Amino acid sequence: MRTLKSIQLLALLALCIGFTACSSDDDAGSNNLLDVETETVTNLYAPQEGGQGQPVSGDFTKFDFETGLVTTSETEWDIAFRGTSIIVNGGVSAGTTDEPSRTGEAAVYETSGTFASVTDIDTTLFTQDSAEGYAITTGSGNGWYTYAGPPTHLITPIAGKIFVFKTNEGKYAKVEFLSYYEDAPENPDAFADATPYYTFNYVFQPNEGVTTF
Amino acid sequence: MSLNKNNTCIYFLIFFASVAFSQEIKSVEKDSSETEKLDEVIVTATRTLRQLSSLPLPAQIISKKDIKRSNSVRLNDILNEQTGLITIPDFGGGEGIQLQGLDSQYTLILVDGVPLVGRSAGTLDISRLTVGNIKQIEVVKGASSSLYGNDALGGVINIITEQPKYGLKGNINYRAGAFNTNDIGATIGYKKEKLGASLFINSYSSDGYDLNEDDDLNTVEPFNNYTLNSKLTYDLTDNTDLFVSGRFYTQNQDYVASSTLKGESSINEWNIHTKLSHEYNEKWSSYFEFYTTRYKADEYLNNEDGSRYSDGFYNQLLVRPEIRATYSPKEESTFIGGIGFNHETLDRTDFTANPIFNSPYAYLQYDGNFTERLNVIVGARFDSHNRYKSQFSPKAAARYKINDKIAVKGSVGYGYKAPDFRQLYFDFTNATVGYTVLGYNAVLTVIPELQEQGEISNIVVPLSEFEEDLSPENSISINLGMDFKLSSQFNFNINAFRNTIDDLIDTRVIANKTNGQNVFSYYNINEVYTQGLEINSTWKPNNNLKISGGYQLVFAKDKEAESAFENGDVYARETPSSPSFQLKKEDYFGLYNRSRHMANLKVFYAFPKLNLDANVRGTYRSKYGLFDTNGNNYLDSYDDFVDGYTVIDFAINKRFFNDYTLGFGVDNLFNFTDTQNISNIAGRIIYGKLNIQF
Repeated sequence: MRTLKSIQLLALLALCIGFTACSSDDDAGSNNLLDVETETVTNLYAPQEGGQGQPVSGDFTKFDFETGLVTTSETEWDIAFRGTSIIVNGGVSAGTTDEPSRTGEAAVYETSGTFASVTDIDTTLFTQDSAEGYAITTGSGNGWYTYAGPPTHLITPIAGKIFVFKTNEGKYAKVEFLSYYEDAPENPDAFADATPYYTFNYVFQPNEGVTTF
Repeated sequence: MSLNKNNTCIYFLIFFASVAFSQEIKSVEKDSSETEKLDEVIVTATRTLRQLSSLPLPAQIISKKDIKRSNSVRLNDILNEQTGLITIPDFGGGEGIQLQGLDSQYTLILVDGVPLVGRSAGTLDISRLTVGNIKQIEVVKGASSSLYGNDALGGVINIITEQPKYGLKGNINYRAGAFNTNDIGATIGYKKEKLGASLFINSYSSDGYDLNEDDDLNTVEPFNNYTLNSKLTYDLTDNTDLFVSGRFYTQNQDYVASSTLKGESSINEWNIHTKLSHEYNEKWSSYFEFYTTRYKADEYLNNEDGSRYSDGFYNQLLVRPEIRATYSPKEESTFIGGIGFNHETLDRTDFTANPIFNSPYAYLQYDGNFTERLNVIVGARFDSHNRYKSQFSPKAAARYKINDKIAVKGSVGYGYKAPDFRQLYFDFTNATVGYTVLGYNAVLTVIPELQEQGEISNIVVPLSEFEEDLSPENSISINLGMDFKLSSQFNFNINAFRNTIDDLIDTRVIANKTNGQNVFSYYNINEVYTQGLEINSTWKPNNNLKISGGYQLVFAKDKEAESAFENGDVYARETPSSPSFQLKKEDYFGLYNRSRHMANLKVFYAFPKLNLDANVRGTYRSKYGLFDTNGNNYLDSYDDFVDGYTVIDFAINKRFFNDYTLGFGVDNLFNFTDTQNISNIAGRIIYGKLNIQF
């Protein structure tokens, strides 16, 4: 099942890359810098077991910005997803069941703006996961989403919230989460559309030491 | 808070300055000697019998005649047709009234001058009240805490019930309509010499209705309720009157939570109201009033196998003795003062304590004509309280008659709403999701307990912030209006209003739990305002035709939200899954559930020769937002809105043999429904009615 999803994901990624556009108009070529491109990940599937008052368990779905792919590597990953929780490969595990240990120096901070307006990286703001809680805080309205409660019960990414990541390799990426529902429907229905299928835009800065997008 | 007090002072200074100024304008001519037509009298505005037409406050009377002609059954039916009033369905199935764009929790509901209790979630369900024994409904807009204290922040609605009349009189009333809804009422009254007595009984039942067939629940589950009201009046001496009224209300309703969880809910409410009035001489009168009411709601849910799933109860008691006196040193000049004591208790599921509220209070008001043209009301009330900050509520109003046709009026008042029991003592943990809601006063005891049990991972708001009392929500309301009585057939009035609410009580996260959920509690934060304009007009070209229309414009906004938009901190998406963009100041729509425009138009026509009267009434409400649908916590122009709508009602009544009236009507003629968003509009209702007088 999971491999099937991965294949789907790969196929979709391949498709998306065809549509991607340059978000930065640096004349990168002349400085021998690699292009900065906006990518879209669709339907990254990150199920969890338990929840709703029960202990949470299940493997996190790990993602690597450098390759733009889901990975099962225990070390070469940047961020990972399970249900509505997002962790980074840096800091200390909060100790939940099946939570991977952190092997790298990944970190994150959140900022407000449109995806395009976040151009400068403030390296002083980065935080990592800790035993007390994740760097991307959990719960409605705290991290990346709001939970509407009755009657719609929708989980919606918070508009204007952009996450800036430091990757495992010390490079940077910015992410805007778009949907928690399969195929990112225009008007999701919490009762009909399957979760948790992350869709997000990201920009990866492939050039070491460059703190702009 | 101190800033707010200063503002209050400034408002009052400005007000008095303008009053003083207007006094200087010499009245050139005396009032013409033409006798005013017998005018409607209102008691709610001043707590004395007061001519409505010369009142400096925005107020309105809904007459028994209009209630009967509209064939209304419950209080919400008739209030919904009034300008600027709209009933908003609550999640518990009740309907509360929104007034000047303020929530139902800010309007005090009185019956014969004494308050109803039982606001389980802030809303007082006005469909609890039958209109069968109502003499008139009085609506006073603007803060009125100077006379009524708590809850009278937005306004006061006072239901005046019928008094026993001379002789032996009675009537029977029956209305049957769609959804097997039956309303049966009977009144019998007797009055002779010193003794008067009356008994009113009403039974109201319905099979309910379902707007959404897909789920296991009905929109309104079947219910039946009974109201019993008996009154006794006795003239002890020529100058001393005794009044005793007892009211009892009981309702049973199916309670269905899912296909497997079913039960029942019940409400039992009673009140006893005793008043002893004595007139010492032409100038002095006094009243002793003793009022007790209890509101008790119980509900349970059973599992399919019959075992108990959940129980809930709510049991509130209010006891209020009050003494007041009126002194009229000369005609058209009245002082009223009173002292009283509120004792209130509540026993409820998920409460940390069985709280007791005690609050003595005193008030004083002057209502007089400084000149022929200038009427002034000034008053204030002090409420001392054992659980929250004591309140001083002043009010001032004036009306200046420019000529026989035009008058200007204005009022400034302070209103407050005390934190309710729930906001202070709630201790509730959601069994399935796991979040916790704590009342403000419960935080200091419950958080340490949760910490000891290892359920708290992180304290977000330090406990020291909960050592001071939670402040009552308070408001300064300003009303400025003009009355035009252009002819005996046509009148028109316009009123601009602004209510600025401070210390609005909201919820916030105070701690994170180890299960990933949050602990919420209440706090004073938001400042909101509602402002707008209200226009009412009545045209009676002859005795048979009456056309009335009204319009309200309202802007209801949160100041914090306004500045967030101005600062460019708010973002939205075109669709839930598209990239976000920054919103502009003008994209902020305002508070939830407020329509910018509301209007009504009513045409009543009588055919005297046929003993027949007919009417068509239309109400319009423009689009409004129910909740934030794009996840930015604000209602903006990119959210989903509930479309505006119009509901048209039609009624016709014919009288036979003097004492029999047959009625027929259609409410919601064009069968408007919005099954997704509007739970209290059931669709077209066709009904028949019979009334017998004896």
